[in-house]
Amino acid sequence: MAFADPSDPSDPSGPLALHVDGISVRYGRHPAVENVTLELSQGSAMALIGPNGAGKSTLLRAVLGLVPLAGGSVSVLGHLAAEARPQVAYVPQADALDPQFPVSALQVVLMGRYRRVGWIRRPGRSDREAAVAALGRVGLDDRAGLRFGALSAGQRQRVLLARAIAQGSRLLLLDEPFNGVDATTSNLVVEVLSELRAEGAAVLMSTHDLSVAHLTCGEACLLNRRQVAVGPIDATLTPDLLAAAYGPQAVALAGGATVVTTS
Amino acid sequence: MRGFLLDPFRFGYMQRALIEVVLLGVLAGTCSVYVLLRRSAFASDVLTHTIFPGVVLAFLVGQPLFLGALVFGLLSAVVLSVATRALGADDDVVLGVMLGSFFSVGVVIVSRTTGYANDLTALLFGRVLAVDRAEIVVTAVVTMTVVGTLALLHKELVLRAFDPVGVEALGYRPVLLDLALNVMVALVVVAAVKAVGTVLVIALLITPAAAARMVCQRLGPMFAVSCAVAVVCGWLGLAVSYDVSINHGVRAASGASIVVVLTAAFVLLAALGAAARALAARSSPPVTTPA
Amino acid sequence: MTAVVLLESDLLRRALLEAVLVGALCGLVGVHVVLRRLPFFTLALSHAALPGVVLASLAGVSLFLGSLASSLVLVAAVATLGSARRLDTSTATGVALAGAFALGVLLQSAQPGSSRDLTAFLVGSIVTVERADVLLTAVVGVAVAAVLAALHKELVLGAFDRDHAAALGYRPLVLDIVVLAMVALTVATSIRAVGTILVVALLVTPPLAARLWVDRVVPMMAVGAGVGALSGVIGMTASAEWRVAAGGAIALAATAALVASAVAVAIPRQAGRRQTSAGPGAVLSQ
Repeated sequence: MAFADPSDPSDPSGPLALHVDGISVRYGRHPAVENVTLELSQGSAMALIGPNGAGKSTLLRAVLGLVPLAGGSVSVLGHLAAEARPQVAYVPQADALDPQFPVSALQVVLMGRYRRVGWIRRPGRSDREAAVAALGRVGLDDRAGLRFGALSAGQRQRVLLARAIAQGSRLLLLDEPFNGVDATTSNLVVEVLSELRAEGAAVLMSTHDLSVAHLTCGEACLLNRRQVAVGPIDATLTPDLLAAAYGPQAVALAGGATVVTTS
Repeated sequence: MRGFLLDPFRFGYMQRALIEVVLLGVLAGTCSVYVLLRRSAFASDVLTHTIFPGVVLAFLVGQPLFLGALVFGLLSAVVLSVATRALGADDDVVLGVMLGSFFSVGVVIVSRTTGYANDLTALLFGRVLAVDRAEIVVTAVVTMTVVGTLALLHKELVLRAFDPVGVEALGYRPVLLDLALNVMVALVVVAAVKAVGTVLVIALLITPAAAARMVCQRLGPMFAVSCAVAVVCGWLGLAVSYDVSINHGVRAASGASIVVVLTAAFVLLAALGAAARALAARSSPPVTTPA
Repeated sequence: MTAVVLLESDLLRRALLEAVLVGALCGLVGVHVVLRRLPFFTLALSHAALPGVVLASLAGVSLFLGSLASSLVLVAAVATLGSARRLDTSTATGVALAGAFALGVLLQSAQPGSSRDLTAFLVGSIVTVERADVLLTAVVGVAVAAVLAALHKELVLGAFDRDHAAALGYRPLVLDIVVLAMVALTVATSIRAVGTILVVALLVTPPLAARLWVDRVVPMMAVGAGVGALSGVIGMTASAEWRVAAGGAIALAATAALVASAVAVAIPRQAGRRQTSAGPGAVLSQ
């Protein structure tokens, strides 16, 4: 299975990293996501913005194939999502994982390589080197041997990012990566994401931190179960559209800025 | 049909068994709802096995078995509540260790005494047909105590089950509420040991509420259905085991029969509930939100 | 002296070997039981084996296969109940456990002289093992260990981060079924030695003891198997020496190993704490 040549990351004629076409997701009888369409080119980054319960996590899980679609389709780098799995890396929130689990940071990063290693075989030297390098990029190569749960929240988040880097994917999906992390981690993640973009990877990131979204992403998709807006970030995160998405949580400030309260 | 349901109870011993079973039905029907809400099926199961050494020790020192069961039941409830809280995430594992340690102590002690086999079997599997007046009185007292206590603590127990963080924020201590429920469960086990034995009593603590849950959405109806199911299945179980044993010559243990009937009732209600929901879903379209 | 007695008698030698094999196998497989929070489900598996055993003995078929078959039925039942989403897993497991076991008791009670067999099912009767049983245990043990080794990284991944496993393209449900199948095989093999209820003790206690010493999965499996095997030896010795039930003695030995480990690990930590503040990566002080 051949994927696009990474040597020209901003080649507009290359296949879209991600094409989400009118997807809907339903939990039982209740719709969680309705009719969302977005396109992500290689080397770009899009922020998924919306209030709690808007369906941001659900949308990410739908792209990953973790929940069934009630309608629409997803394609990754020109292929069906199910066939393109190795090219999609998922960076979830770290607090969903058991801190007592007896695995080291390095072992967690290695998990990203398992598909390459294949069934039955053990990770080899090249896998270990890739894992250590990935940990180095997030500033944790000196903590590789520590138990995953012994690290701080921010460090754990970085380990999960390293896991995605080690996987070597062309599309990264991040679920609220800046939630509850320290400043060092935030800065590092912003830096690493822009490096990855320069290398040709595409990033889809859910967040409710508007300033970080502006810092890291060129595009945004405003979501509140339905798609409120999608496009270049400055055109999308306007006071009117934010009010439409957030309702009473959006507060317009004098001077044209809009603040969104998290409640 | 009427003969089947009423005939066996011409006899004194069957009447006593029936009274015992009806009392236990009310007791179990009530308590199991709280066990379900709290999702403490495993903890309750462990409690049924940790009273075993208590019963053994009581026998050895010539005290009434009920007393041994009571002491160890309360002791286990305390240890359980404290240990699961202290070790946090690994609840299930702590419970597994408690189960193993207590039960193995009981087994080891029992194996040292000879001539205990019969009593051991009765303890493990129950002998409801041998229940006497004194035991019925004990069951009645336990039923009133447990149901009364649960009624008094109802809203706190429900809150604790539903919102463990919120209940603490309101100033309650979840450990004490858990302890209270565990003590109630221990009392149910102690009362039901005679009828169904320690090994099968877990059915009484879980299945009635589970069956009710398959057809009820609200708490009030759940209590009613749970008790009704427990009582009716107790009755039916006795009738069935009598019929099979006397009229068809196949020995059928009463305790086990009650549990099998109870499980069948669960399956029936599960099917009914699913069918009802499927019909309801077909007649109304999926929820759509306004633009 | 007692060790010598154990090794002299053919019967006791077999029982000792069985105890060691069962202990080691349970200590190994038990790591997955602990990591995946399966103690209750394992208890249900072991209880559900009864109707299968009874039917198998009625039909003259291998008891091992009978118990496996009814365990599999239980897995299907709990999976169905769980997917309906009206009941949480633990309640569904409890209903299935009690129902299956009562069915077994009922079937068994229809036979004459049944109570002794039922009790043996509950607490084990290791001294009745034949050579064929020990051989079966060894074969099952090797097979289960081989499967767990081959699929090691995928099974650990599935236990640690189910979503990531799915995102990578694995099927977490398939991985779960593999683990459950290995547990079911272990339970079916070990019931004879320690009985239904105590097999859970042997699957949970040695890995927990191991966890106090080591912080990674593979070492946990090695130490767990070691503690399990040691419990087998100590338990059998105690059983022969003091004439107590072997199954109970083995489970009790495992518990003693856990308590000893907890104490041994806590003491230096307490001493260390008095000198400095708590060190990094401490296992229990999280």
